[in-house]
Amino acid sequence: MTTFVDPSRTAIVSPRANSLWGFRLIPRIETYPRVLAFAQTVAGKLTILGLFGIGAYYLLPHWKALILCLAVITALPQYRRILLTVSTLLWACGIWWRWTDHPRLVEAGILFILAALLFWLATLFRNSWFGRWPVATLLTGFALLVLLASYLPRGGSLRTVSWDFLTVASAYLWFIAYSLLDISSKSRDPFALQVGTYHPFWDWDSSYTPFAKGAAYLRRIGAQNAEQLAVAQLKGLKLLLWSVVLDLFLRKAFLPVVHGYMGIPLYEDVFELSAQRVAFPWYLGWASLIANFLETMVGVSIWGHRVVASCRMAGFLALRNTYRPLASRSIAEFWNRYNYYFKELMVDCFFYPTFMRYFKKRGRWRLFAATFVAAGFGNAFYHFFGDLNYIKELGFWRALVGFQSYIFYTIVLALGIGISQVRERKTANSGWIRGQLIPALGVAGFYCVLSTFEHHVKRYPIQECFRFLAHLFNLVS
Amino acid sequence: MERKTAIREFLRNLLARKGDSQPFSDETSVLLSGRLQSVDAVELAVFLEENFGVDFATMGFDQERIDTVNAISSLIEESSTLGK
Repeated sequence: MTTFVDPSRTAIVSPRANSLWGFRLIPRIETYPRVLAFAQTVAGKLTILGLFGIGAYYLLPHWKALILCLAVITALPQYRRILLTVSTLLWACGIWWRWTDHPRLVEAGILFILAALLFWLATLFRNSWFGRWPVATLLTGFALLVLLASYLPRGGSLRTVSWDFLTVASAYLWFIAYSLLDISSKSRDPFALQVGTYHPFWDWDSSYTPFAKGAAYLRRIGAQNAEQLAVAQLKGLKLLLWSVVLDLFLRKAFLPVVHGYMGIPLYEDVFELSAQRVAFPWYLGWASLIANFLETMVGVSIWGHRVVASCRMAGFLALRNTYRPLASRSIAEFWNRYNYYFKELMVDCFFYPTFMRYFKKRGRWRLFAATFVAAGFGNAFYHFFGDLNYIKELGFWRALVGFQSYIFYTIVLALGIGISQVRERKTANSGWIRGQLIPALGVAGFYCVLSTFEHHVKRYPIQECFRFLAHLFNLVS
Repeated sequence: MERKTAIREFLRNLLARKGDSQPFSDETSVLLSGRLQSVDAVELAVFLEENFGVDFATMGFDQERIDTVNAISSLIEESSTLGK
């Protein structure tokens, strides 16, 4: 059941594969004693921050503010969590919510007060319904508010105010969920420190997935001494460098070669041809689909690496978001390696609660059901309520109907992960080709084909996805 | 004493299956340190349910509480107290 395995700690490959995958473009400098000792000096810290600043300048729009926050936290590591809260609030008020189309500082302030109230109530009434089901109550409440807001008369001020508030609430929804999960912990943080995990300053352009999880995870992974801080920062610097390398590869090599030299059209364009009933060779469909699959994978890696690199620079040794997904030998393992923090969110909010409470006498069905709730229902919920503009424009039910393609995607994905977890236990290793290469190709093929249903959320009915799929196999012209 | 022996044995087997034969004390973090992973947390939870009657639905699931032999032992103790 590798779905729930930390990605960077999974290394179940044959010796030959190890030597292949073990190649390192960027050496493990954090293990060199002299580098590690230098990184703990003032000159070393300034050097690391300077080098990180160069990478950040290339990749990030707000690199100066980021480096300033990191410099202060590096100088005062004993106040790391407090500084994280201060930096995050300044970032939210000074940059994020101020720079949106319509500044929403008031809505953000109200939301923080509401979050504090929920945290306090859940802590105070641990044995009440809300205390036992805080996340389920939060998510249900949010969904109901969205449903109600979608029925408010168009053009009215109440509708405008409601959607403005819900837009801000949706941005913080899963961060508040992690706070509520922390109330069961004996060593939970006070709400003031929880706020520091609500879109932390390093999470400047991520989706609504909490990087890196919530306060409980940050308590675990925070550097405890100067050496650990040096290791975390060196690994952060390496990851940012890797992100720069991938970005250069994607923009300067992959895209020009694939779409320029080789002339493979963009996937969106080929899909549009299919939808317009314009004929095109089936192999062109495959080429554009595979190119799009690889581009998306590299893009997700670059994005995740940049966020985790900044998190590590702040002294938190977070795991990578994407870790060699193409080395996955099972569907479950790929899901774990591709977008780790999204998978963890689904596990924490949906898998564990289901697994610990239901189907206890059902053996492997217990695992299957919990997996289905997380990868299927949770996944669909996250993405449906993650784009409120779509619901606002179409109305709740029409938006839900338009979401059919992604719902199908989550059902097949959940079935695939569930089955792969059950099968995985029976599978034995048998050499590199049969044990690694063929399973890895099969897994990549599954996700690549399934992405047909993932990318066309909301734009096309599901029939068009099936038609494009049939086109790939030359079943329609 | 018997309880802790059973917990140690179970954790030792879990670690051995992952090729980890390093020793651990009753205060060694096995889960949050990364030696065991989330999948193992699920297996450990099932082991505690089946052998010691721990009901995570009532107690809530928190990885910190099953991170060391001593923490697990305390959890079982608390669970049996709640059950009385």
